[in-house]
Amino acid sequence: MEIEQLEIRDYLSQCAPLDKLDPAELDKVIHALEITYVRRNRELLTIGGTNHTLFLIRSGAMAVFDEHDELQGQYTDGDWVGYRSVLKGGEITLSVKAMEDSLLYCIPGSIFLPLYEKHEYLQHYFSRQKPARLRSAIEEIRDLQHNPLVSTHVRELVHGQPLMVDESTSIRQVAEKMTRTGYTVCLITRDNKLTGIVTDRAYCTKVVARELSLDTPVTEIMTQNPRTIPANSLGSDALLMMARNNIRHLPVVEQGDVVGVITATDLIRRQSHNAIYLINEIYRAKDVDELETLSQQLPNTLLSLVQNSLTAYDIGHAISSIGEAITQRLLQIAEKQLGPAPVPYAWVMAGSLARYEQTAYSDQDNALFLSDDYEENAHGVYFEQLSQFVSDGLNQCGYHYCPGDVMATNPKWRQPVSVWQRYFNEWIEEPEPMALMYSSIFFDLRCVYGEASLLENIRTEVLKKTQKNTIFLGHLLANALQFHPPIGFFRNFVLEKTGEEEKALDFKKRGVIPITDLARFFALSAGHPALHTQDRLEAAAEAGLLSHDGMEDLRDALEFIGTTRLQHQAWQILNDEELDNFVSPEQLSSLERRHLKDAFDVVRTIQSVMAQRY
Amino acid sequence: MFATLFPDIYRKYLLKHSRSDALSPYLQAPLSSPQNTILETEFLALDFETTGLDANTDEILSVGYTVIKNGRIHLGENGYHLLKPEADIAAHSVTIHGITDDHAQEGMALLNMLEILLQKMAGRVILAHNASIEQSFLNSACKKCFGHILPLRIVDTLKIEQRRLERRHQHPATNQLRLFNLRHQYHLPRYNAHNALEDALATAELFLAMAHTHCHDLDNCKLKEFL
Repeated sequence: MEIEQLEIRDYLSQCAPLDKLDPAELDKVIHALEITYVRRNRELLTIGGTNHTLFLIRSGAMAVFDEHDELQGQYTDGDWVGYRSVLKGGEITLSVKAMEDSLLYCIPGSIFLPLYEKHEYLQHYFSRQKPARLRSAIEEIRDLQHNPLVSTHVRELVHGQPLMVDESTSIRQVAEKMTRTGYTVCLITRDNKLTGIVTDRAYCTKVVARELSLDTPVTEIMTQNPRTIPANSLGSDALLMMARNNIRHLPVVEQGDVVGVITATDLIRRQSHNAIYLINEIYRAKDVDELETLSQQLPNTLLSLVQNSLTAYDIGHAISSIGEAITQRLLQIAEKQLGPAPVPYAWVMAGSLARYEQTAYSDQDNALFLSDDYEENAHGVYFEQLSQFVSDGLNQCGYHYCPGDVMATNPKWRQPVSVWQRYFNEWIEEPEPMALMYSSIFFDLRCVYGEASLLENIRTEVLKKTQKNTIFLGHLLANALQFHPPIGFFRNFVLEKTGEEEKALDFKKRGVIPITDLARFFALSAGHPALHTQDRLEAAAEAGLLSHDGMEDLRDALEFIGTTRLQHQAWQILNDEELDNFVSPEQLSSLERRHLKDAFDVVRTIQSVMAQRY
Repeated sequence: MFATLFPDIYRKYLLKHSRSDALSPYLQAPLSSPQNTILETEFLALDFETTGLDANTDEILSVGYTVIKNGRIHLGENGYHLLKPEADIAAHSVTIHGITDDHAQEGMALLNMLEILLQKMAGRVILAHNASIEQSFLNSACKKCFGHILPLRIVDTLKIEQRRLERRHQHPATNQLRLFNLRHQYHLPRYNAHNALEDALATAELFLAMAHTHCHDLDNCKLKEFL
C-alpha cells in the first residue's frame, strides 16, 4: 500500500490550488503532511504568536478575526487558514478560532514555500494582495475566450425543413418554389435520396448563361452528389469544409436523412456577435409586433455573449445597445405615424441603460426634454401620444413600465428644458431623501434620439453645480454607502459582518450598486460627464479623488461581480428560469467564492475609507 | 499475566534474558510512562487485517500503521505491508479484506514484518480500535518467532468510549462502538477505504478527537487516563 493510494491523496488532489500540482509534488506534500484536531472554541492561531504551518480544513469550521476582534471570514471543508502568517515569515496578524470541532491537514511552511516560489498559480491563490489575486482571476476567465463555432454542433445551426423536390421537377417549377418560399437553396432527390443541390446562383451561371429551356429537368443544372455534413459535426468543421471546397451550402445529415441545410451566412452570423445582427434587424423592423419578436432574442443574445466569455463591460454595452436600438426604432415608427415633431426634443434614457450597464431586460426609465419653444396647448397632445406609443412599445418588448412612473408618459418628466433646469437646481440645492432617490436615475441620463444638445446643455450646468455643492455631495455619498457587500460565503450561506447567514445574495443591490453609486459620487464630485461606471472611476482617478490602485481595484471588483451575475443569468436562461440577481452560494465554486470575497473586501475597504474622509 | 500487569519490569527482565537480537532495539526503549502527558507520548496507530478472529489458528494478512507525535499524525511515518500466509485464504474472508491468495503470495514473511514493526513500536504506545485483535495476533506472532510475548503499552479507542459510557451508566447501542460510527459521532469525515493503513489512520484521527474532546486541559492530560 503506497501513500499514493490513500484516500487523503485523492482528497488533496481535488483541493484548489493543490489540484494543479504535479503528482510528484503532491506526493512530497503528503509525505510531509500532518493531521491535527482542534476542539470547538479553541484558538488555533493567536495574534502576536508565530506560525509556520498551512492548515487545510478537512472537516469542521474556522473563523478568522482581526486585532479588533472583527470577523474577517469563516471557512470550512477545503478552505485554507494560516497561510498569511506563513507568507509573513511566521508573524500572526489575524486570529484563527475553531467554530466547530475541526480536523485539519497541516503542511509545513518548509515544504510549501519552495512550491509557492515556483508556481504562479499558488502565488495567485495565496497572494496577500487581494487585488492582484482578483486581476489574475479575471485574466483567467478571459483566457477561456473561444470561438463559439468550436462548441456548437451543426444540428443547432440549421433552422426549419429544407426545400426538397424530385429529380423530375423542371427548372421553372423549382424557380417558382424558391421564389415563393424565399429559399436560396433547393435539394434534389430520387426516391427520397439526396442526389443533388441547386442554389439561386445556378440560375445565373447555368440557366441564363447556357440559355437553357425552363422546362429542362432540374437535374441539368444541379450539382450532383453534393457534400454533406453529419449533424453532430462542429460548426467549425462546417466552416472548414465550405472553405476547402469553395461552397456556401451544406446539407446536414442525421441517420441517413437530410435534416436541413446550413449556409455560410448561418455560420458567419453565429460567429460575429449576434447582438450586432440583432440590432441591424431591429432597425429594419416595420412595426411594434416585429420589434417584440426580435426583442425575444435578447436572452439568447445575452447567453451567447456570456458563453463567449466577453467582459461584463462589453456585455453591458451590447445589451444596452439593443434596448437603445428598440427605443430609437419605436421613435422612428412613432414619428412616421404622428408626423414630425412640432418642436425639437430629446428622448432621454436613465439608469443602467444610460450607463451602458444593462444585463437582461429591465424596467424602462425614460424622460422627454423639450425645447423651450414648447407650448402645452399647441404641442401637448403630440408629445403625449409619442411618449405613450414608445412606452407601450417598450413594455411590449419586455421593458416593463417603471413602477416609480419615471417615464416620459408622466407629465412631470415630459417638460421643457427650463423646467428641467429648475428640477435639477432643487435636487442639488435641497437634497432630500426623495431627491436622492432620483439622483440614481436622473444623474445617469443619455439622449438616444432627437436633439442631444437639449440634455447636454443642462448637463454642463448641472455638473458645475454638483462639483461645488459639498452638502449635496455629502448626501450623495451617504446614499452611496447605504448598501455594503457581505464578508463572503460560508458553506451554503452568505456571511454578513454580524455573523448572520443568508441563503442568497442580491448581486445587484449588494454587489453592483455599491460600486456604481460610488462611481456616480466621484463623477459628480469631479464634475465629469462620464456615465459608465468604469469611465467614471477612471475620471475620478484622473481628478485625484481616488488613487490609481483604488480605481483599478474597484474596476476589477465590478468586473468580477458583474461576470458572476451574468453567469448566473445565463444559467437561468439555459434552464428557462425567470431572470433575477439572486445568486446562492451553492452555485459558486470554492475558487469563485474566494475571488468574490476579495472583490467584496475591495468595495468594503473603499467604502470605509470614503466614510471616514467625508 | 505478569507481562501485561507490569510490562516495564517484564521488559527489563527480557532485556537481560532474551536471546533474540531482533528484539533488543525494542526492549532497550523504555515503555511510555502512564504519568507522561498525551502530547509528549508517541503513539503507533496499528491495524491488522487477518484471515479470521482466532489468533491461534488465523493469520495476519496485512499491517498498516501511522505515528502520532506532539499531538499530530505524521503521514510521513505511515507504513503498510502485505504478509504471505502459510495456509490458503478462506473465500469468506477475502470478501472482507479484499486480499486474495495471488496478492498475498507477494507478501513478506511474518518475521520480516515483525522486525520492521518492532523498530516502529520502540518507545511508542500501541493505538488500535478494539485492540484485543492486534494484541492477540501480535502476541501469537511473537511467540511463534521469539518464543515469548512482548511487553506492550496499549491504548484502545473502543475501550475509551466503552469506559466513558460505563461511567455514565449508559450502554452502547449495537454497532455504536464501531470505528466508522464513532468517527461520525466525533464529527470526523467519512471515508470509504477498508484496509489496514486507512483504518490505522482513521483510528489515529479518532484518538485525537477523543483526547481533544475529553481532556479539559490537554496540555496536562496524562496517558494513564486512556490506558
